[in-house]
Amino acid sequence: MAPTSAPAIEVRNLTKTYRDANALDGVSLALEENRIYGLLGRNGAGKTTLMSILAGQGYPTGGQVLIHGRNPYENDSTLARICFIRESQRYPDDFSPHQAFKAAALFFANWDQELAERLIEDFNLPTRRRIKKLSRGQLSAVGVIIGMAARAEVTVFDEPYLGLDAVARQIFYDRLVEDYALHPRTIVLSSHLIDEIANLLEHVVVIDKGRILLDEDADTLRGSAVAVTGNQDKVASFIDGYRVLHRDSLGSLASVTIQARLGATQRAMAAEIGLELSPVPLQQLVVRTTMSAQAEPHGDHYQEALK
Amino acid sequence: MSAIDDSRPIFLQIAELIESEIVAGTMAEEAQVPSTNEFAVYYRINPATAAKGVNLLVESGILYKKRGIGMFVATGARDQLLGKRRSAFAAQYIQPLAREARKLGIDAETLASMVRQSLAAESAEGSVR
Amino acid sequence: MNRVVKVARMQLINKWPFLGIPMVILVASTLMTFGIWALLPASAREGELYSGSGQAVMWYFLALGIQSLTYTFPFSQAMSVSRRSFYLGTLGLFAAIALGFSILYYLLGLVEKATGGWGFNGQVFALGWISQNNAAIQILFYFVAMVLLFMIGFWAATVYMRWKASGLLVAGIGFAVLVLGMVALATLNDAWPQVGAWFAAMQVLGLSIVLGMLCVLLAGGSYLTLRRATA
Repeated sequence: MAPTSAPAIEVRNLTKTYRDANALDGVSLALEENRIYGLLGRNGAGKTTLMSILAGQGYPTGGQVLIHGRNPYENDSTLARICFIRESQRYPDDFSPHQAFKAAALFFANWDQELAERLIEDFNLPTRRRIKKLSRGQLSAVGVIIGMAARAEVTVFDEPYLGLDAVARQIFYDRLVEDYALHPRTIVLSSHLIDEIANLLEHVVVIDKGRILLDEDADTLRGSAVAVTGNQDKVASFIDGYRVLHRDSLGSLASVTIQARLGATQRAMAAEIGLELSPVPLQQLVVRTTMSAQAEPHGDHYQEALK
Repeated sequence: MSAIDDSRPIFLQIAELIESEIVAGTMAEEAQVPSTNEFAVYYRINPATAAKGVNLLVESGILYKKRGIGMFVATGARDQLLGKRRSAFAAQYIQPLAREARKLGIDAETLASMVRQSLAAESAEGSVR
Repeated sequence: MNRVVKVARMQLINKWPFLGIPMVILVASTLMTFGIWALLPASAREGELYSGSGQAVMWYFLALGIQSLTYTFPFSQAMSVSRRSFYLGTLGLFAAIALGFSILYYLLGLVEKATGGWGFNGQVFALGWISQNNAAIQILFYFVAMVLLFMIGFWAATVYMRWKASGLLVAGIGFAVLVLGMVALATLNDAWPQVGAWFAAMQVLGLSIVLGMLCVLLAGGSYLTLRRATA
C-alpha cells in the first residue's frame, strides 16, 4: 500500500449540537492507518454521534472530519472505503441476511464471500429467514458479518455484540484478530465490555460528555496506575503526592488507586511497610478515569500527566 | 481466556511468555518461533502488540530474524535468560519469602529447613517424572 | 460499476416491491374486472363498461415511494452510499419501471380497442379522453401520473425521516392552507368560471405538463430534505 501522509481518520475540533445538548464538544483526534482503536465511554458520551460523522452518515455542527484526507460526507469515493454498521442498524423489511450480504457484496469492493460464509456458519445464522424475524443476537451477527467481510479500509463497529452470547462474542473477537492479522485495516471498536476487547486494542480513546478524556496507547495505559492496599495511615503516607483516581476503605483498611508508575525501590518500600500493590486492569482504569473526570470540571489532567 | 492479563503491558507479557518457553526448553535454540500473527491469534491480542513483544527479544539478542523466513531462537539464548532470571531470583522470590516468614515469626533455621524439604520433594518428584 | 446503478440493483435484490407486486396487482385487478363484467346480467351490460382497475397499480406506487425510502435508505447508509447516489439510483430505477408500465398500458389499450373492449365493450386502459391522443402523449401522461404518485410517497417519507410526525403535520397543514388559499382566492374574485374554463381547456398534454412540474418540485424538495436526513 502506498504510504499516505494523512492519517486514516482525522477529526478537527468537531462539535455536534442537538437542540438541547452538546453531543460533541470540540473533539480532535488523529487515528493512524491499520490499527485497532477502542472508542470507550458511557452511554450518551457521544460515541455513536462521533462514529456516524466519521462514516459520513451524520454531519457536524462545527469542525471537520477527514478520512484519508477527505471529507466523507456525500463523497462516494471516500465512502466506498468506509464501513459503519450501527448498533441498531435497520435493514429493508423484507430482506433476508442472504440478501443483505448480496447487497454488501455489491458495494464493498473488498467483500470476501468466503469469510462471510465462514462467519455465517460460526454464528449459526439462518440466512434465508427474514431479518425482521431474527433474534437480537442474530441481528447483531448480520452486522458483524457485513462489517468484517466488507474488509473496508476504515471499519467502524458500534457495540457490535448486543444480544450475542459469550461464545458468539468470543468468536467475533477471534475472527477479528485472525482476519485483521492477514488483512490489516483501520478498525474502530466501540464497546462497554472493555475487559473483553482490551487485548485487541492497540490504542484507546475515552470520550465523556462529548469530550476526549483519554487518547493513549493501550500498553502505555496498562501499568500507568496502581492500587495500594493496606493500613489506611500507611497508605495515606505512601500515596502522598500522587493523583488519586479512586478510594475504597473498609475499617482501617484502605485501597487507593493512584496514577503512578512505580519503580523497583518504591515497590520495595511499599512491601517493607506492608502495603500490597496490585495492578489495575484497563477496564478499571477507564472507569476510574471517567469517574474522577466527572468529579472534576476539567478532565485533561490524566492525559497531560501521562506525557 | 489466555495467559494474558490485562493490567500489565501486553508486549512485556508476550516477551516473558516466549522467554519462559525458551527457559523450559519447549522452544529450542535455532528453532523457528511462531510468527507475530500466530502469537496474536493464539493469545487473542493485537498483532502489533505481539510484534512489539517479539521485537523486544530481538533487540536483546534472544531471537533473531532470518529475512523472508521468520524468527529464530538465538544460540545461547537459554543461558542468557537463565542468567537474567537467576539474578532476579532473590528480589522476585527470596525477599518476599523472607518478609512473609518474618511476619509469621518463622526463624531463619526453620525457614532454611523448610526450603531444604521442599527442594528434596521437588527433586524426588522430578526423578519419578 | 457506478454506485447509482448499484443502488438500483440493490433495490432489485428483492424482485417483489418494484416488479413482482405491481405485475400481480395489474393482472389480478384486470382479471377481477373481467370476472365482474362476466357476471353482470345482460341488461346491465348494455353500453360501455368502465373500470378503474388500471389505477390500482398507480396507488401501489404511492406506497412504493414511501417504502423504497423508509426500508432502504437506512440500509443504504450502512452500505456507505451517499444520499445523492441513493436518491438518483432509486428514482432512476422507478422512472425506468414507470416508463415500462406506461408503455405496457398503451399497448394494453391498443389490445383493448382491437378486441372490442376485451369482448365486453369495456374500458380499462384505453380511457376515452386519454386514448384519443397520440401514443407519445398517452405514454407521457401515464408516466407522469405514476411518477407523481411515487414522488408524493417518497417526499412524504423523506419529510417524516427528517422531521418525524411534526414534519408531516406541518407539511400537511401547509398544503391544506395552500389549497384553501387558492379556493378562497377563486371565490373572492368570482373566478370559478375562469378556473373551470382553464381546466376544460387543458388537454391531456397540458395536464401532463402541470403534473410533471409538480413531480419536479417534489423531486427537488425530496433531495434537499434527504441531504440532511439521518437514518
